[in-house]
Amino acid sequence: MAGLLNALNAARSSLEVNQKSIEIVGNNISNINTPGYSRQSAKLTPFPSLQFGDFFVGQGVRITNVQRDHDVFLQSQLENKYIDLGFSNGQTRSLSELEGIFNVSEENISSEIDRFFDSWQQLSTNPGDPVLRDVVIHRGNLLADNFNKIANSLDTVVNNINDEIQSKVAGLNNVIGEVAELNNRIYNIEIRDQQANSDRDRRDLLVKQLAESLGTTTYLDRAGMVNVQLPGGLPIVQGNMGMRLETISNGTSIDLQLQAGGTVRNLDTNTLGGELRGLFTMRDIFIPSVREDIDRLAWEVGSQVNAQHTAGAGLDGLPASEFFLDTTAVSPPASSIYQDSAIRMAVLIDNADDIAAGLPGSPAPGDNRNALAMAGLGNQIVIDGVDSYNSFYARITSRIGIESNQNELSLGGAEDAVNQLENLREGFVGVSLEEEMISLIQYQRGFESSAKFLSTVDELMESLINLKR
Amino acid sequence: MKVTQSSTYRLLNSNLNRITNTLQDLRNQAASGLKVNKPSDDPTAIRPILTARTEIRHSERYLQTMGISYDKMEATDTHLGQIENILQRAKEIGINAVNGSLNDNDRETLADELGQLKNALAASANTQIDGTYIFAGYTNTTPPFVENTAYTDGGYIATDSTTWPYFYQGDPNPTELEITTGERVEVGVTGNELFMGVANSNWVAPPAANQSEPGNIDLFSVLTRMEEAIRNNNIDDPAGPGGGMTQNLENLEIAANQERRIRAQLGTRTARVETMMAHQERISVDLQQTLSRYQDADTIKTFNDIVQQESAFQAALSVTSRVSQISILDYFR
Repeated sequence: MAGLLNALNAARSSLEVNQKSIEIVGNNISNINTPGYSRQSAKLTPFPSLQFGDFFVGQGVRITNVQRDHDVFLQSQLENKYIDLGFSNGQTRSLSELEGIFNVSEENISSEIDRFFDSWQQLSTNPGDPVLRDVVIHRGNLLADNFNKIANSLDTVVNNINDEIQSKVAGLNNVIGEVAELNNRIYNIEIRDQQANSDRDRRDLLVKQLAESLGTTTYLDRAGMVNVQLPGGLPIVQGNMGMRLETISNGTSIDLQLQAGGTVRNLDTNTLGGELRGLFTMRDIFIPSVREDIDRLAWEVGSQVNAQHTAGAGLDGLPASEFFLDTTAVSPPASSIYQDSAIRMAVLIDNADDIAAGLPGSPAPGDNRNALAMAGLGNQIVIDGVDSYNSFYARITSRIGIESNQNELSLGGAEDAVNQLENLREGFVGVSLEEEMISLIQYQRGFESSAKFLSTVDELMESLINLKR
Repeated sequence: MKVTQSSTYRLLNSNLNRITNTLQDLRNQAASGLKVNKPSDDPTAIRPILTARTEIRHSERYLQTMGISYDKMEATDTHLGQIENILQRAKEIGINAVNGSLNDNDRETLADELGQLKNALAASANTQIDGTYIFAGYTNTTPPFVENTAYTDGGYIATDSTTWPYFYQGDPNPTELEITTGERVEVGVTGNELFMGVANSNWVAPPAANQSEPGNIDLFSVLTRMEEAIRNNNIDDPAGPGGGMTQNLENLEIAANQERRIRAQLGTRTARVETMMAHQERISVDLQQTLSRYQDADTIKTFNDIVQQESAFQAALSVTSRVSQISILDYFR
């Protein structure tokens, strides 16, 4: 009878285990589309055997652990690739905005420069014509407007980046806080020798998000807590403590600060990674260099046209004044003499008679010598001895083109790499419907046979009890 | 290693994305006809494209300038023809007058006609095209020639322009226009050179006393003095009134040569402009080709690529639908 009772007990444990396993399979199926979920499985072990005479007889089965499939190597690979993906992603939008500003259509600054000098060429055919003189002023105004517009558009791009940084930071602070909290929970659960599977999945997912946005790297401490730090080594999650990111407006732009304990650190391209680094690189390095180039172009056009214009004379035969506003930056702390030339560019001449088509001397309305010289300026090599105005513009535009092209390539590459790794991760730890369905059948059969076994034992016991009737 | 539902769908998704992006690009190329729609499409082509566009614009402008130049030169040439006729007629009158058989009345008539010719010459010299005086140099809004009211036949000195019957008020600058990069052509003729025989480089603004170059002469002086000589029947006395008809006939020959020489030079420059126009038109076509090579999409290739991508897209879509058709769930009761 004792043997039968043992068998009854074994059958009961089997029923329980199979039922629990089916629950776990069900949970896997429920989470088949949950991002970051790792497949869980029950770890089955037999009950310790009991000695029965000369041999040992098993006592049933039990679940010793519910474990999740996990691959540390893949996780760290993924974090790395997400950093690349984030960095490229952070630059993409600004670059496509820049490509819109510096376009290659028929209507760009280069066409306006052409048209401006073309109006001088046209003026040279009939220098006394007041209409042609007006056209020159008009073209000058359009050119100046275009430079202003480009400078303003660059400001808009920078503002968009600032907006994006600000909106990112709020979300990131939540993620940082959640990672710290998860660290705490996992520690509290696992100290009791239990597995915090779903919490770990969630933490892995959040850490990937942080890597993508901030370029963070992680290491595990002895308590099983994930410590997250920025590329420069500044910690943002330490044990169960999360730091805070703050955006501070410095008047014209936005600074990003890390509040770590009592100290405040400014973050820049060197101490950031991922998407924010991409944004900061565009805002603090690439766009300023583009702006400097366009300022340079505006300054070169303005100052050289002015030099040529003052060499000539208006209809009165007296030396002419400057055509464009002198945008040379004089007051420190200007970074260069070109600073803000594009946005300040404006035409000074407003009287068509003051257009210097001729050279100084007695009034000569037919004198076109200065107009010819001015028209010639348009296709001369005037910048650094290697570029004309147009080729300088072409140079700026191709620089943006190359950058954008590179970005497209590296973004594509990073996306592919991430996809591949995510698929690899899925391959190891993901939920496969086929696998789960088969497990379902397996456990179902296990449950059925245990039940059958139970009824057999029941019959045996009945027979035993019926022996003495 | 297993294949899960998420990885299958991720793969399908990324492939469909890639193909639709490529298709989008190709369709954009086909619709715009351009393969460079934004700088990143081909960063190396930007400089050639912008340069070609600039040059096409220049080319168009040069063609227009040459058209204007050509018209101006043609008009100037017509007036030069007119002046040539005047000088021709003056010579006929001169030859007629030297003939001693004429009586005083006949000579008076001839002298009057010569006076008319002189006025016609003055009118030609002050010709306007488009509201500007064509023989005035840069000061083209004031009449270049005015009569010397203090002129006396006795006071005439060949080497002092201040004693000549007409003064030139213009300047010695022929209008130049640019017909190709760096090449300028004189489209006009200045009055000092044509009518007074003083080279542009030697002209000194009034009231300086200019003198004609050797082999050149002041046209107005010749006509005025011929008229004077005929009126006074001075056949060949160089010191007499008008300086003698015979001497003036020789001077008329010099004057006609001077005018013809300048007309011939203008004709050469006109021909130059004409050839340059034809040349520039060819350059324009070449530039369009260059531009096209850099920026235009190869239509056939683009459409081929579109068809190719579309079939890839269809394949990807049908795979996607098959993936969703087949499921282990269909094999359970």
